[in-house]
Amino acid sequence: MEFGTIEREIFVEAAPAIVFEVVSSPDHLKEWWPDEAEVEAVAGATGRVVFHRQPPEQSMAVPLTVVEALPPRLFSFRWGHDEGEEPSPDNSLLVTFELEPAGEGTRVRMTESGFRERGWEVAVLEEIYLDHSEGWDYFVPRLGEYVARLVSS
Amino acid sequence: MTTAVDDELWSAIGEPTRRRMVDLLLAEGFGTATTLSEQLPVTRQAISKHLGVLDRVGLVHSTPAGRERRYQVDERQLARAAAQLADVGSAWDARLQRIKRIAEAIQRAQDNRQQEDKGE
Repeated sequence: MEFGTIEREIFVEAAPAIVFEVVSSPDHLKEWWPDEAEVEAVAGATGRVVFHRQPPEQSMAVPLTVVEALPPRLFSFRWGHDEGEEPSPDNSLLVTFELEPAGEGTRVRMTESGFRERGWEVAVLEEIYLDHSEGWDYFVPRLGEYVARLVSS
Repeated sequence: MTTAVDDELWSAIGEPTRRRMVDLLLAEGFGTATTLSEQLPVTRQAISKHLGVLDRVGLVHSTPAGRERRYQVDERQLARAAAQLADVGSAWDARLQRIKRIAEAIQRAQDNRQQEDKGE
């Protein structure tokens, strides 16, 4: 493994178009990562992700800029740079989702890189969000409602 | 502050030449600036400088050996750097599991709807 890059692969039993929606649209993003997300899945679009903390003053808003959006194959963005800064390899992390049709579903390859250039601080920042990944105890109730809404719409 | 120390630790191990040096030291147990420069396309002076960086963040320790110093990897410090990255990795594992479940739930909902439309 390249030290400073995280690589993961996962098979999803859903069409690439659906997976693309889930990884790129703000409504879906906040179901799997931040508490709030504002972004348009268009190359160059800048938005932000917000992570709620207790007390609320400690909540963090982090800029996110879309690098590539090629539905339903590729979605990548940079995040973690300071507000108002142009994202670059030196100041942000690059997250890439590559989606490849596989049988009835999609093979998803995710990489997050830039820890080396960006330094340790941001790895620690990432670690802060670990409490988000405590898992489905928190997300399952939300997901139930969410799918019900989708199906009825 | 611990964050500052970690930042240095990270950039110390992030540099490709230093990473290869750590690999070589791990493989051989120890090494000197001379033995390392024989195995890498870098001057002995450059190696010495890199060893200084690794030493400052505690990734290597040295003992005098004749006119040179003999270097060894501090495996505890190395494990610490690796563990922090592994934590970030496990955060992504959890996120990808959520992505999978959300996408699959949507796919199933769509499939069901299509079946209903067909009147099945």
